[in-house]
Amino acid sequence: MDGERSLIELPLRLGPLCADGYNISRSGIRWLIQPGQYCRANQIFAYCNISLEPTGIRMSGPPPFAEEMELQVAFAARAAGRILGGAGAERGGYLSIRSVDVWDAGAVIAYIEAEAEPDVDLERLRLLMLAGRRMTGLADVHTGLLPGWHGRTRGWWCDEGEMPVSLLSLGICDATGVVIGEQCAFVEMFEAATAPTQMVFVPDHPLAPATPVLLDQLERKPAQFQAIAADMHRFLSDSTLAPTADDWMVSGALLSVLQRSPIQDSYSLLTPSGTVRTEPADAVLLSLSSEPQSILRHKSLGYHVQILRHHQAAAGPVFRAWLGSAFETVKRSIDDIHSDYLRLLDAMQAATGARALVINRMSTSGYEDISSYSLFDAPMSGTLSSIAAKELNLMLHDIAEHRDLVIIDVDAIAADLGGAEHLPDGIHQSGPIQAALRVEILHALEDLRPKMQLK
Amino acid sequence: MFVHYAINLRDDSSLSIARFAAAYLLLDLSMEIRDLEMIYGFRLPTINPHMSGARIECIYAEPGNALKIGSKLFDLGVDLSSAFAQECPPISFFRVVLREPVFLRKLNVARGQLCELGELVALFSNEADESLSAAPVRDIRLTVAGIIHHDGLWTGNVA
Repeated sequence: MDGERSLIELPLRLGPLCADGYNISRSGIRWLIQPGQYCRANQIFAYCNISLEPTGIRMSGPPPFAEEMELQVAFAARAAGRILGGAGAERGGYLSIRSVDVWDAGAVIAYIEAEAEPDVDLERLRLLMLAGRRMTGLADVHTGLLPGWHGRTRGWWCDEGEMPVSLLSLGICDATGVVIGEQCAFVEMFEAATAPTQMVFVPDHPLAPATPVLLDQLERKPAQFQAIAADMHRFLSDSTLAPTADDWMVSGALLSVLQRSPIQDSYSLLTPSGTVRTEPADAVLLSLSSEPQSILRHKSLGYHVQILRHHQAAAGPVFRAWLGSAFETVKRSIDDIHSDYLRLLDAMQAATGARALVINRMSTSGYEDISSYSLFDAPMSGTLSSIAAKELNLMLHDIAEHRDLVIIDVDAIAADLGGAEHLPDGIHQSGPIQAALRVEILHALEDLRPKMQLK
Repeated sequence: MFVHYAINLRDDSSLSIARFAAAYLLLDLSMEIRDLEMIYGFRLPTINPHMSGARIECIYAEPGNALKIGSKLFDLGVDLSSAFAQECPPISFFRVVLREPVFLRKLNVARGQLCELGELVALFSNEADESLSAAPVRDIRLTVAGIIHHDGLWTGNVA
């Protein structure tokens, strides 16, 4: 009919994906939609697990993804349309969990009923690669995207010849939801960004990413870590109370993260062109809300821990006693936080050259009815959360004048969309705010892209 | 009320207007006298439309205390967990500060206690020994401000 574009049905093929020295095997397809469901362009609709099988050619160095026991590929069509499953794509049972089929670039896993779009290879799926480093090897969960308990997850996407720009998320809740999204697998970020990108996420437990904690991680030497481990072991062993399972679990998780420095992590990537080893993240996302006004510092070893209150509840009595006796509380003024930020940014610049993106704080509240500030003692930033937030936000602007720091302005976005509806407690955002923040974050990465292309 | 009477009396003589003015002044005076003898209440207000209650995090005054404008009364913790499914509890803290001088006469809560919206938390009067037999005539005048978590709060310290 005149003025209307006709629908066509096309097969959706896996497309190329390579790992140097390895064959890629995959499980049966697992669906995230109902048959015939309409999907947006770039909306993830299915996934499979993958594994790497050596081809027999000896490769030097450790195998890629040796630490990442979760490896998955999720699929999206490049145009909007109705998705119908391909016959036999899902294998069922353990064959939809274990890798049983060789990755075949021409394999058809589904069909799409869509409008033809010039210049778009509709038959070729967009691939979202997912990798998870488990907090413990015991955390093997078999269903969903990036299932289980991870100390680090990441998702990346690129076509042939493209090199993703990498963002490492080290924030608390105000960064977490924006980066990993509602399914905790980067699918919203993948849908928002078609340019080649890698998102890396480190959770805020057991250590919350306050700047003193991140600085310690950057500067810690192996001998210092050994001293920390020995001290913790000594306290748990010498305690008059017998440590509970919760004490050991939280202690182990803490040791696991204390020995790492996520800012310095480099990454292996599967791409359509082969395996690529990348440098540490090009940008690091922090949240100003993760800076406490007081932090625990070990009395003799001098390192810092910041464990969010609701995470402390996971520990047993001996671990909590250790926090209470081996650490002292150090108050932090805004000047102290400013100083810690400068030290962290300089250390990051020296170690990796990464750009800092910082989500600022919502600094107004519709739930207050302050008619006179004379009712509150000075300095008001020591008591009133809105004043503290404004001063911290101003501090970020001061830093941004002299350092490579981009402010992700949730304060302005929330004020624009409406804080009461979209940011009811000042930290946990609605979907529309998260979408707006994704746009800001991706925009801040744009000028980091041209420097890098796959050889 | 003045406007209401003025409209109804618009056709009356200047004598009637003078009568009305005198009546109004008497009414106003009687209200001020009554104001001096009133019992006031603090009912847990709706600070956030998503809240169903609040925890009494700190209590800064005791019954019998004479409180000034600017005196701290309570710190409250508002947890939206019941309204929003988040693993990280969305707790905000608020300070309640007086905007009028009163005597705190009765506390119906203890530190750490959860209160429901509208629950009568405390009673006040503007005389130290006034009888509490009468019901509160109005809510106490106060200011509510968001505060930072501190070591004196029940949440995170006792909890």
